[in-house]
Amino acid sequence: MNKTFISFIVFVGVLLGFHNVVFPIMDIKEFSWVMNRYVYYLLIPITLIFINIILRLKPPVSLIALMVWVLGFYFYKYVLYPPIPWTLFITYMVMWSIGTFLYVSQDAHTFREFRKPIVKTIIGEYKLARIVVFALLPVLVGWMTYNNIYPAYQEPVELRTVHPAPPATTKVHGKTWTLETARNPYRVDEQDNYKNSFPFLDADKNEYMKNVTQGGSLFFENCHYCHGDQLNGNGMFSHVFNPTPANFIDPGTIAMLRESFIFWRVSKGGPGLPNESTPWSSAMPPWEEHLTTEEIWKIILFEYWYTGWHPRTFDTEESYVGQWEKEGKPAGVH
Amino acid sequence: MLGKQTGRYQALSLAMVMAFAIYLLPAFATDAVAKEAYAGQAFAEEAFAKEVQAEEAAGEGEGEAEIEWGQDVFYKDWEGNPLKGPVSGFPAPELGPEDYNTYEFAPSRMILWMANQQHLYFGSFVLAVPIFCMLIEFVGIRTKESDPIMSAKYDRLAHDLMKVSLTAYSWTAILGGILLFTFITLFPGFFKYMAGIFRPVMHVYALMFLAESGVLYVYYYGWDKMNNDPFLKWIHCSLSVLLNLIGTVLMYLANSWATFMQAPGGIDEQGRFLGNIWHVIHSTLWNPVGVHRILGNIVFGGGIVGAYAAYHYLTAKTEEERAHYDWVCYVAMFICIFGLIPLPFAGYWLMKEVYAFRQQMGITLMGGIMAWLFIIQAVMIGLLFFGANSYLHNGMSRVRGAHRYMKYAKYMILLLIVCFTMWMTPHTIVMTPAELKAMGGAQHPIVGHFGVMSAKNTAVNLMITTTVLCFLLYQKANKKITVPWQTIGNCWLTAIFIGAAANIIFLGVYGYFLPANVRVGLSVPQVTTTLTTLFVGTAINISMFKDSESYGEIQWGTQSKVGTYAIFLLAISFTWLMGLMGYIRSAVRLFWHVTEVVRDNSVDAYTLTIGEAGKMLTFNTLFVWTQFVVVFWVASLTAKKGAQTEPEAVPVPAQQQQ
Repeated sequence: MNKTFISFIVFVGVLLGFHNVVFPIMDIKEFSWVMNRYVYYLLIPITLIFINIILRLKPPVSLIALMVWVLGFYFYKYVLYPPIPWTLFITYMVMWSIGTFLYVSQDAHTFREFRKPIVKTIIGEYKLARIVVFALLPVLVGWMTYNNIYPAYQEPVELRTVHPAPPATTKVHGKTWTLETARNPYRVDEQDNYKNSFPFLDADKNEYMKNVTQGGSLFFENCHYCHGDQLNGNGMFSHVFNPTPANFIDPGTIAMLRESFIFWRVSKGGPGLPNESTPWSSAMPPWEEHLTTEEIWKIILFEYWYTGWHPRTFDTEESYVGQWEKEGKPAGVH
Repeated sequence: MLGKQTGRYQALSLAMVMAFAIYLLPAFATDAVAKEAYAGQAFAEEAFAKEVQAEEAAGEGEGEAEIEWGQDVFYKDWEGNPLKGPVSGFPAPELGPEDYNTYEFAPSRMILWMANQQHLYFGSFVLAVPIFCMLIEFVGIRTKESDPIMSAKYDRLAHDLMKVSLTAYSWTAILGGILLFTFITLFPGFFKYMAGIFRPVMHVYALMFLAESGVLYVYYYGWDKMNNDPFLKWIHCSLSVLLNLIGTVLMYLANSWATFMQAPGGIDEQGRFLGNIWHVIHSTLWNPVGVHRILGNIVFGGGIVGAYAAYHYLTAKTEEERAHYDWVCYVAMFICIFGLIPLPFAGYWLMKEVYAFRQQMGITLMGGIMAWLFIIQAVMIGLLFFGANSYLHNGMSRVRGAHRYMKYAKYMILLLIVCFTMWMTPHTIVMTPAELKAMGGAQHPIVGHFGVMSAKNTAVNLMITTTVLCFLLYQKANKKITVPWQTIGNCWLTAIFIGAAANIIFLGVYGYFLPANVRVGLSVPQVTTTLTTLFVGTAINISMFKDSESYGEIQWGTQSKVGTYAIFLLAISFTWLMGLMGYIRSAVRLFWHVTEVVRDNSVDAYTLTIGEAGKMLTFNTLFVWTQFVVVFWVASLTAKKGAQTEPEAVPVPAQQQQ
């Protein structure tokens, strides 16, 4: 039998066998370094290489390319968990396809080998292949067209700007804050080296922990319903919102932002967002209507303390610690 | 590398180091200068202020008007207070409908965008070509004694490129005129203000243009006359250095207008000039934009010359022609990749400065309304690296002896793709509510980690390191190393690359546990690691070629078609990318002509949708390439007229060096 054909059958067989038999066994819910879906995935190419070597099959470049491409597809579609959105899937597959093409076109000889069956199919040397391909092609196009025009009832995707640019100034409780220079008046240590202390227990130790404790209390009174008791955006109400509440544990949220930005967002909420951020898509109320300025700053202090992130600062910035005490007003307010 | 004898390695290395040193001088200077400049400028400013105060005091006695003092919007004094300067200009105007003119057929902004972009494209090309010519002519002079045929080949190539550049130079000037008229006619109010501030700079710019023209004509028309005498040839080569220096000054002067618009300095809140023109020129983004543009010009120029040569290679009728243009492709790509490797670092520096200038601006770019354009930028950068690597792989495969290294190509491709996947993963993913629920939150627990800078810095550094590795393997493809320390040398090379990869990955992961401002600083050791692989790796590699034997000559003219098409991909992608980044940098001012000073009150003060911006960028790319085709055709007319005899031999590549 044709070795290429055997190699193809082996590939299909291994993939089907692994997917239907090995996958359910290895994909256990408890975390394990060995028994997990990613180790399972690595076993597929290893098995394929092993069988091909043992049987001395030497699959042609075009078949190797097909296998590589399909294995990429299989990983992004079935192995990577939780499933990734369609837009990301397409992006990744484009990357993988480019990679596959780079592989087959790495030199003139390999590319010629890759093209050979395609050319032979087109010119009719592989008659059966030509009939199958040219019969399936219109069916494939038809299926894609059908899928595209069939009415879908899903909400459309939107390019929402999650971190919009803040305004230069914001007015909260009658005071105008310049966001470029505004600082958290309760911050004592810019790098927040108070990790060994614990709010509520250590509130009497120093002023800072007292403020963190008060911020924590306020957070659990007002914010944790949406942002979660672990500040990970998975509060009890979070699942009814789109977009979901911000996850402060994520390195891409408060860790990347200055405290003044958070102050503006918390104070003004969804309605205060600029149009680019589709303010109607944020359910957060303008907290300035419910909390005092001091309370907002303390909540922000707690969020950074709890998550362990440090507020974004820039090298050129001067130390602002204790400025409130020195000048009688926090930085950036006039 | 580009030639036959060992001497050429030294010549080329020296040329490269010189070029690198010259063009990155402002970059090295800036950090040192940035700190000192702060102090230095403040000191100078204080002295200047004292002088003015003395004049003022003297003036008081004579009953002259009192000098008004204004506070600088950007510069600060020793204590961090805004620097004071004597008000020396008029306040920024509040522009009204009478300050804008329009045509019916297109919005003024689009016309200006097109005029500006076309001028910039051509400006970039004519600034890049003299850099090429300087390097190529230098290598030609250095190889004259050891390999006269090769030397003549280099000289001819440099001369041919200058011929094209000459046509492109006039074209650039015409486009500059069109741009100027567009400003004056369509945005008279804004231009009046800019002219008021930059009056002396504009005159110096015009004079520098004159100097550039003079040197260019002497350089080009004196080529043949100065070709035979060695001393005169060195003088001629020195003219190319002068030409590049003047060109760089020209570019920096023109940059100051754009950087002032984006991040102004030297004026007060009302936009009044505070008497120090250096402050206005040397605003915070001036140096990073300058360095970024120089490197960009080199890549752009390399892409255009490469595409030109690739076209001729694919349509060549004779073997000699094919061999010649294959070699030109190689030289162009070599220079192009040389510029491409440090380009992302210059980009990071620029973005860091933008963020430091205004958080608002940084967020608009990276997380706000421009964020999706940055994703497109990431795709384009990936394409550039793919194009470069594809060319190197295909180029390497036709070298005898390359089979020893070709087996690693697939692993390098895999690494590139994995890194590019990280590089491309957005922090905010476009998804439907159903997908969001399936994912369990806005961030994916695995690929969600790729959305922040730690991952992206790691990815891009690994991509560059892989490209460097590919290049080193290309260099040694047909070499049979004979030096006694070859095992040690190879071990060092392996250790450098494995160590670099480990260090880059470690720093990337470590970044997740650090505050943002410290994390940003990690990019410095990552970049240093990457550049170490480039310089130390190349140095060790070249040292090992001493007394090496050759597996066989490269058959110039045998480059595969895929490798040749990769050059087109690189050139077109880069043109589009240049337009995109220019648009992003400019559009981030949103509704300001000059950030926070002169408001854009025209009907065009809106941000384009991604689709509309994409259409304009595509149009500009197609339009400029049409013009390039015309310019190359015009240049080829003279070539046909005075066709020169081809040197008999074809160039011999680095791989054959003994």
